Amino acid sequence: MPDNGHNPYEPTPMHIIRAYFESNDNSLKTFELTFDDHKDCEAFFNKYNPGQFCQLSIFGKGEAPFGIASAAWEGDFVRFTVQKLGSFTKHIHTFKAGDPIGMRGPLGNGFPLKDWKGKNLVIIGGGCAFSTLYALTKHVHHPENRLDFDQLVVIYGARTSGLCMYKHDIQSWYQREDIEIHQAIDVPEEGWSHHVGYVPDVVKEVAPSPMNAVAVVCGPPIMTKYTLPTLVDLGFAPEDIFISLEKRMKCGIGKCGRCNIGSKYICKDGPVFSLAELQALPADI
Amino acid sequence: MIYILEKKKLDQTLQDWSSKYEVIAPQFVDGVLQFHPVHPNSELALNESINTRYPPKSLFLPQSEVMLRYNPKSNQLEDVKVLPEERIILGIRPCDAYAVTLLDTVFITEENSDPYWLARRSSTIIVGLGCNNPHSTCFCTTVGNGPFNHEGMDALMTEMDDVYFIEPFSDKGDALFSGLPIASEEEQLKVKRHQTQVTESMTIAFETENLKQTLDNLFDTDFWGKISESCLGCGVCTFLCPTCFCFDIVDEVQRNERVRNWDTCMFRIYSQEASGHNPRPTRAERTRQRLMHKYSYLPDQIGKIGCTGCGRCVRYCPVGLDIRAMLRAASDFESEVIHAG
Repeated sequence: MPDNGHNPYEPTPMHIIRAYFESNDNSLKTFELTFDDHKDCEAFFNKYNPGQFCQLSIFGKGEAPFGIASAAWEGDFVRFTVQKLGSFTKHIHTFKAGDPIGMRGPLGNGFPLKDWKGKNLVIIGGGCAFSTLYALTKHVHHPENRLDFDQLVVIYGARTSGLCMYKHDIQSWYQREDIEIHQAIDVPEEGWSHHVGYVPDVVKEVAPSPMNAVAVVCGPPIMTKYTLPTLVDLGFAPEDIFISLEKRMKCGIGKCGRCNIGSKYICKDGPVFSLAELQALPADI
Repeated sequence: MIYILEKKKLDQTLQDWSSKYEVIAPQFVDGVLQFHPVHPNSELALNESINTRYPPKSLFLPQSEVMLRYNPKSNQLEDVKVLPEERIILGIRPCDAYAVTLLDTVFITEENSDPYWLARRSSTIIVGLGCNNPHSTCFCTTVGNGPFNHEGMDALMTEMDDVYFIEPFSDKGDALFSGLPIASEEEQLKVKRHQTQVTESMTIAFETENLKQTLDNLFDTDFWGKISESCLGCGVCTFLCPTCFCFDIVDEVQRNERVRNWDTCMFRIYSQEASGHNPRPTRAERTRQRLMHKYSYLPDQIGKIGCTGCGRCVRYCPVGLDIRAMLRAASDFESEVIHAG
């Protein structure tokens, strides 16, 4: 019986090095965590692949899963953006730099970057689900990784400009020549010079070419529901459309049972699936 | 090889074991048949045709278990002792022993083995007991199992007249009985004949051949609403199921412990998300999850049906829902609605 002496339920001790609000209504807060023990840091980055997630753990409050929003090259830290929604996230929003916190991960498969080598990437995100796509974009931005991919198109929508995340960094992407960035908000605002409209409509308008391209979609259910057929209409094959999914989770390692869609566990077999894989599964989401 | 243990010598055997092992066996405690530690005055209940109310999975995956203990001030973890001693579980029925092997596929994997499950599994010897009188709610042969199936056992006992015939299936199992007399060829044949006879006496409760495909075809139909109309959503079918393993993880603040508790897909909150969205909002979707997990998803994952035919969900459902009837209805519903439509 394989036993490596490791307890996968035991959180890695971390502490917060930076914590700041990401949105003007303070509903989104970003935390950057670093490792108390350097050995854990090494183990983490040996396994980390953009698109993976972690369970953040606070003793006495419990655990909840969050997508990783940073790329490995950014430094010895792990970034998460947390939307204040339930009891755990309300509590974590009170955390500040210096506070200790536990973390289990990286968990899940992440994006199949090796299969995407040499391809154009079309990255489509909506709301706070953009966090793992931000990690993906940051990963690709590293000069060494940039060579692995051809054109890079990012379409990112939020309800209002105040809810747009990673503002300053994304603003700087407009100056880069190796990325085409399209930001959108749902309704017009004074001073907003980018797209206005829902993400599926912006995708239709931008009409990224499916030639030698993969599309990666992450967002609220209503956005993905309409974006996926839009991509199919544009000529993307279901094998070239990828989506990152979420469900209620506890263990994060395929044992506690609850996050299955048919015979796949989102935590273990996902969270990233191709549309072709998803179409073969029952609609249990 | 088959050993012979005379029934009158069982007490002595238990006594011998007790110097080295904790022995756990079915007994009536508080009027309920359950697995319980054996003490010198314990009266074992090995002759019941009904199985223990709680499946022995609770000996490997306790209903509530401390996973971590923490110091709330320092945030440091304190040691949690998983298992006290080596033990023998005596009298596990074939359905329940087989169920443990199905759960092994969940808890023992290349990437992440569950240390709590693993510790209990590695320090446990399972001595099973074949079923001479399968109960009317039992349907092990329907799901590819049987009343003398030894999968998951270190040894299998077959009771005949005043002896137990004992077949060892592992070194550990063999070591427990190796001093005993060995059955003659004639006796061995007698045992095998008896096992076959009992096995063949059980009727097939429903067809399993195309069952997975049938259920997959019914996924988006109102079949699930129909079969779950009288379901109370109490979850007893899952809590008492030997192959149900779902658990919740919660922090017990007053005890400074992170605990896992049995959970059930029959509860609304099981899949309720923080946003308010719930992929399984009614009992129809939850019943679908329960049945399809066992008869479609596990066959997909491990090539085996995730039900061992123990019959507990049939016996203990407070409104008399019967999984056998549900699965028979699935085939009927498919022929009427899907193929006719």
